[in-house]
Amino acid sequence: MSTQNKTAREQERTPSGLCGCAPDSRRAPQKDALDIFIEKLLAAAKAGGVDKAEAYLRKTESFQSFVESGEVSEYGVNSSGGLALRALIGGKMGTAYTEAFDDDAIDMLVSRVLESASLIEDPDEQFLFEGSPSYAELDTLARTPGGGTADEKIKYACDLEKLALSLDPHVTKLGYQNGVESTHTQVRIVGTNGLNLRHEADGIGAIVTPVAKRGERTSDSLGLRLARNLSDLPMEELAREAVAEAVFMLDAAPCESGSYEVILRFDAMSMMLMTFQGVFSAENTQKGLSLLNGKVGETIAAPCVTLKDDPHREGGPGSRPFDDEGVATFPKNVIDGGKLTTLLHNLKTAKKDGVAATGNASKGSYAATVKVAPSNFHFQPGENDLDALCERMGEGLVITDLAGTHSGANDISGEFSLLSKGYRVRGGKKAEPVEQITVAGNFFDMLKHIKAVGSDLRFPFGGAGSPSVWVGTLSVAGK
Amino acid sequence: MVKRQLAERALTQALSTGGDFAELFFEDRLNNSIMLQGGKVEIVNTGRLHGVGVRVFKGIRSIYAYTNDFEEAGLLDCASQAASALKETEHIESASVRLTGSIAANLHPVRRLPGDVGNAWRVDRLRAADAAMKSISSEITQTVCRYVDWDQQVTIANSEGLLVSDRRVYTRASLQAVASDGTENQIGFSGPGALQGAEFAQALDIEAHAKTAARMAVTMLHARQSPAGVMPVVIDNGFGGVIFHEACGHSLEATSVARGLSEFAGKIGLKIASDIVTAIDDGTMPGEWGSINIDDEGTPSNRLVLIENGVLKNYMIDRLNSRRMNMPITGSSRREGYSYAPTSRMRNTYIAAGTADDDEMIRTMGDGLYAKTMGGGSVNPTTGEFNFAVQEGYLVKDGKITEPVRGASLIGRGSEILTKIDRVGRNMRMAQGMCGSISGSVPTNVGQPMIRVSSLTVGGR
Repeated sequence: MSTQNKTAREQERTPSGLCGCAPDSRRAPQKDALDIFIEKLLAAAKAGGVDKAEAYLRKTESFQSFVESGEVSEYGVNSSGGLALRALIGGKMGTAYTEAFDDDAIDMLVSRVLESASLIEDPDEQFLFEGSPSYAELDTLARTPGGGTADEKIKYACDLEKLALSLDPHVTKLGYQNGVESTHTQVRIVGTNGLNLRHEADGIGAIVTPVAKRGERTSDSLGLRLARNLSDLPMEELAREAVAEAVFMLDAAPCESGSYEVILRFDAMSMMLMTFQGVFSAENTQKGLSLLNGKVGETIAAPCVTLKDDPHREGGPGSRPFDDEGVATFPKNVIDGGKLTTLLHNLKTAKKDGVAATGNASKGSYAATVKVAPSNFHFQPGENDLDALCERMGEGLVITDLAGTHSGANDISGEFSLLSKGYRVRGGKKAEPVEQITVAGNFFDMLKHIKAVGSDLRFPFGGAGSPSVWVGTLSVAGK
Repeated sequence: MVKRQLAERALTQALSTGGDFAELFFEDRLNNSIMLQGGKVEIVNTGRLHGVGVRVFKGIRSIYAYTNDFEEAGLLDCASQAASALKETEHIESASVRLTGSIAANLHPVRRLPGDVGNAWRVDRLRAADAAMKSISSEITQTVCRYVDWDQQVTIANSEGLLVSDRRVYTRASLQAVASDGTENQIGFSGPGALQGAEFAQALDIEAHAKTAARMAVTMLHARQSPAGVMPVVIDNGFGGVIFHEACGHSLEATSVARGLSEFAGKIGLKIASDIVTAIDDGTMPGEWGSINIDDEGTPSNRLVLIENGVLKNYMIDRLNSRRMNMPITGSSRREGYSYAPTSRMRNTYIAAGTADDDEMIRTMGDGLYAKTMGGGSVNPTTGEFNFAVQEGYLVKDGKITEPVRGASLIGRGSEILTKIDRVGRNMRMAQGMCGSISGSVPTNVGQPMIRVSSLTVGGR
């Protein structure tokens, strides 16, 4: 079967001159050079003796404009992509990839997948998918190519810098990169068994990094917003929040060591979820690398906790109609009212667990092997905004920033001990800023002790999002 | 790989709108990655990366464009795109660029290229590691053994006439053991690597590294939670050097110094560390993981003293930031590949050997923490705030190492910790890491002898 994923708007789009994309890359009928390469490759793989083969292509066009003193200081216009070949030979899956698209590449790919398959010992059954009955129509494109013109993005970046530098006398400079970055990504999956899928998505982000100084004291903050269109990026709110945070943190000091009631603000909680998202992967449970092995159906979190993976979320940074094996995606609750309802699966892990695939096959890059990952993963928001959560908590800490999650958190044991920033809450109100503390705990324990989930859901860093969450008691090392 | 005339035309094109410097970075790289999980071959993935990056400067403005296309039309189009970003300037007739070719002197000879050995041979090396891990304890419930190597060929050309090629061959084993008692999991890790070919994996005592990782996992499984608080900390050699890498190294890169953001900006010639601290960034150590013949701007590598007896001597400076800082480049501009513009990065960065005795260091520290093996860490170069994880730690009571503790992290500010180092031992050793920053992930060595920090905040529970 053959499937094309195209929205009406996508068909109407005119090609962007900016990114140098070929005009026919957005229209179905004409074959482009890549289509021809893929056809030749799959034919060569068949001739080379593979049972089934699949070509996976990911192409990205990106644009960056970072400014300094009202002028563009760093500018990037890029186009790149790569293709991975997967092939089944005697039930074993061989893999190889390339960024060169010539006849040598075809020879290399075919000989390498044959070698790869001959060495693989993974006893699990492998699949190359033939297609789902239907795919969701998702709106993942910007209204205009690139989400705005280069000139509009440069102007936005200059205005953002100017605004950030005008808001507070303590902020007279900005950190390393300030401006706008956009990407247009295209994924194609074509198989010898008839699979033929294509999906395109736009993303744009604005970043500002105010540095506040008073005497010898320095503090900074990171303001980041993601959207599809330049006009959806809220400049005023972005600049004001980031500047206010940098200035507020100028007075920060460590608090006393001890146990505190803690609220992880939406950004810190999103970071926490991103760090530990691997524990929900069936690939990890099956390999003994996640403590959630055998826990489906059990209560693993407080009743107020619902964790959702929603690949169809409007405007979601991870929205996609099919996963990286071509399986149709769908929204699902992973934790529902505290109960673990499902793990995330690709075709292989689903077969092994005797369940249906969940559309969560994922390749970190086009070259990576197929693993498991969520799309738009987030805690379902509750009733209270952050102020109301503080009011309910009374005394404690709000954590606004977690650092070192790649080293200070262990997703196998669930333990974390992370450099943190935030502020004290006294009498239910925001009090003095706190820094140079570590907050330590265990992710699995924390889920069980969550007291309330806030209403302020955001996706601050991409694919994992959260509202602010009152997580109960954590251990704090300060002074 | 690259035609001289085409490179000359692309550079001339890149300067056609008034840029004052242009550079091409051609990369052709073969990657090979093998993974055994639980002793079974799970991944054999090979591939070829292929692309070119075009960089144009005008003053301190920088434009970067890249493409996979090495053919004439694709490269010239990429150069035109880069040039057109300087669009306020009218088209000008730039002088034609003339290149003079050279090959970088090779300080790091490779005896067996990755292509000289088959993947079945690599698999056998990993099987030995897997067996060694499992031999340590029945509590080792999972193993992940990886063999990665890559063969990167680069050609760098610039409008000053430079045309230079280099070939970098890297080999690394990455060994992780998981120990479990059914309800809890702990990991141990060892990841030896070198700027060498298959001869490195052949000579490597992979079983010894595997056993180290397995013992670490088992020890940590039986460790209790680290206490939290401010205490003296002894950090052992090898990967312990990550403390200098994070706490100070990143803040000495021009990336943060050039705009006055680093806490060490403007402090050359001033004392920033205690007298016993001398720190070096050396890209010339033969075959070492962080070494390079030339940097990714084509400048020969060198040995750079960062701190000498506590006094700040040098920053690591790339071409663009040398313009901002009005200081010379230091041959340490690096990038992961063609899809990143290069910038100042570390190579083999270490605290040089001192004179203190390891036993005395612990005997006289009173109560504190002995960090035997460090995990990774990170830093905010603007504020100097760093954090890193202790992979394998032990409590010290009254000058004696007692029980193992897990979950400890070390936090602080770079400028503070440097002045609090009160012992530097004699036995410098390095370990391998992948350092991530704005120009991507690059191989770096961290290193130091055993050191003692008189007081440091330990995060635990």
